[in-house]
Amino acid sequence: MRIVKSRGSEIFDIELEKDLLAKNRSLAKENRERLDRANILAIDIMGSIGSGKTSLIKAILKRIGMSNSVAVIAGDLTTTIDAERIEAEGARVIQVNTGKECHLDANLIHKALNRMELDGVKLLFIENVGNLICPGEFPLGAHKRLVITSVTEGPHTLMKHPYIFKEADVIVLNKIDLAKAMKVNPSQLERDAKKINPHVPFVKTNALSGMGISKIINALRLKT
Amino acid sequence: MHEFSISSEIVKTVLDTAEKNNGEKVLSVQLEIGELTHLNGEQVAFWVKELFKDSVAEGAEVKIKAIKARIHCRACGYKGGIRSDREDSFQHLALQTCPKCNSFQFMIEKGRECFLRRIQVVG
Repeated sequence: MRIVKSRGSEIFDIELEKDLLAKNRSLAKENRERLDRANILAIDIMGSIGSGKTSLIKAILKRIGMSNSVAVIAGDLTTTIDAERIEAEGARVIQVNTGKECHLDANLIHKALNRMELDGVKLLFIENVGNLICPGEFPLGAHKRLVITSVTEGPHTLMKHPYIFKEADVIVLNKIDLAKAMKVNPSQLERDAKKINPHVPFVKTNALSGMGISKIINALRLKT
Repeated sequence: MHEFSISSEIVKTVLDTAEKNNGEKVLSVQLEIGELTHLNGEQVAFWVKELFKDSVAEGAEVKIKAIKARIHCRACGYKGGIRSDREDSFQHLALQTCPKCNSFQFMIEKGRECFLRRIQVVG
């Protein structure tokens, strides 16, 4: 007896070689090229929840007084609280809500740039979602990265999250007025910063009073 | 910490690829994750399997291989891997220094990737 077998299904391999993080890097590059063409300096502001990212942006805006040529992309999970706080300073603000995501990515910035009126804008702040881990992995295309931490986060933040500080162009230690109450030694945090990223400015601030803000403006080479 | 979004991207790519190739069932998925990413392989595998449910990839095997880091030290010129002599498995994420001169000043040449290498399908 002959058995005729129907040809069974085939198993085959499909090679993909797809780097899922590479897409973000190439979009970040596109964002950078676009900002360069428009002659806009973009600064990515990263830091923990409650470290003072919004307060810092507000303080810088107050000091440089060029609000009609400044735009801010405010990243947040679901609210517009930060965008409203910045809008009060007169800058153009676009809110990017990430929903559940813990970081902004180049694609969201790409979309935000499409939606913004960029005529006359010289300076763009991108306020990242409060987080010291994920944003470091997703470059956005900004020219400079500022990472802010505050004494209320305790004495170990820099050593626990060296990667994000390693890639910063400016490191800010905020709420310096509370150092004593928090029993945090700012000099130790500065030594940690110098160990991780020795060649970038380390600036101590009190964003609410404006202390240290002019040093940040200098460090970022913002025109005043 | 962004395992869910990466996993969603992986699942979308796998299902699109299977569909384009008339795959009836996905048998396995091979991923490679750089040891310097903040992606936890176990969590990625969990979410990928979870998101595969009720699709042609339900039950597919998720294989994950680590990509070893490679650094280039700016202080002493060292090129190579990072230290892996400590017991805790996350040591590479915290306080990594050049194994030769202990400097923090190094560039990362490899270890920040997350590859979807290949999938095996029945068609």
